[in-house]
Amino acid sequence: MSRQQPIELFMPPNMLKAKVGGGLGGIDMAAMKRAEGALDNLKSEFSDWIADDVKVLMAARAAFAQSPDAASRGALMRAAHDIKGQAATFNFPLISRVAGSLSRLIGELPESQALSLGLVDAHVNAIQVIHRQGIQDTNDKMAQTLCAELDARVEETLKPKK
Amino acid sequence: MSGYRFDRLKVLVVDDNAHMRKLVITILQAFGVTQIFEADGGEKAWGKLREINPDVLVLDWVMEGMSGIELVQKIRTDPQTPNPFVPVIMLTGHTHIDHVRLARDAGVNEFIAKPVAVKTIMSRLVSVIEHPRPFVRTSVYFGPCRRRRGADEYRGPERRAESKQQAAE
Repeated sequence: MSRQQPIELFMPPNMLKAKVGGGLGGIDMAAMKRAEGALDNLKSEFSDWIADDVKVLMAARAAFAQSPDAASRGALMRAAHDIKGQAATFNFPLISRVAGSLSRLIGELPESQALSLGLVDAHVNAIQVIHRQGIQDTNDKMAQTLCAELDARVEETLKPKK
Repeated sequence: MSGYRFDRLKVLVVDDNAHMRKLVITILQAFGVTQIFEADGGEKAWGKLREINPDVLVLDWVMEGMSGIELVQKIRTDPQTPNPFVPVIMLTGHTHIDHVRLARDAGVNEFIAKPVAVKTIMSRLVSVIEHPRPFVRTSVYFGPCRRRRGADEYRGPERRAESKQQAAE
């Protein structure tokens, strides 16, 4: 049931608009073009960036394998989550998909339930393979099969036990 | 041409991943933003925030220590905050609608789900400039109005107290 409580609604002065001006409210196409160009120049670094992220994931995996506690599990979750977002930005959508599957597994598995190192490794290994082979095409058959297999295993693990 | 003087804007980019910060900063620089500051975590961002009082924050969600969500709550409600109204654009790998709601309930103005695209960053930047949301103060929330439209007309009871309570639990 709704509770009757006072709400105060107010509009703070728009200092941002006063500062940057504008007024047409449209998108600055020249600035957009410059930014797209700048992003293109960065693309040659993306593979190295992903390599760094994969190293962080592998270190988190090693720490979890050595001491599977809440802290190492949290660090593994953060590493997987980071790759999920970043790999897609850095043009490795399949790595993003696998990392998304791993972060879903860790995020949705009740903390009281043990996290399978085997299933973690299956994800980490898949990410390494996709990166090593430079697979960026989402239609790659091998990678698709791998992703589907991992999805199914995560689904199975997260399925409520009867 | 929109005519925005982005060079007058102070932006704080907060992300624990150096590459992601570089990418966002590169895009902002190309837009013409010259006063860009960075922090690699929530605690450092809080310090920077009090030091430089930025006009806009671009903030990651998942970070070790103080998360992006915790930082937003602190910005909105801490008595030491330099500006409780500062627009926050949250950039995150979270894509589920529940996460969008959680970010909104913490006081985030705009939400960008990765992958990062130039167009999305520009549109969220323009949105916080052109369409700032009214602020709401209730017993359980302080931050941008969580309704996109029609907020001015709303005179009814507070309806989100229970959902906020559930989120806290």
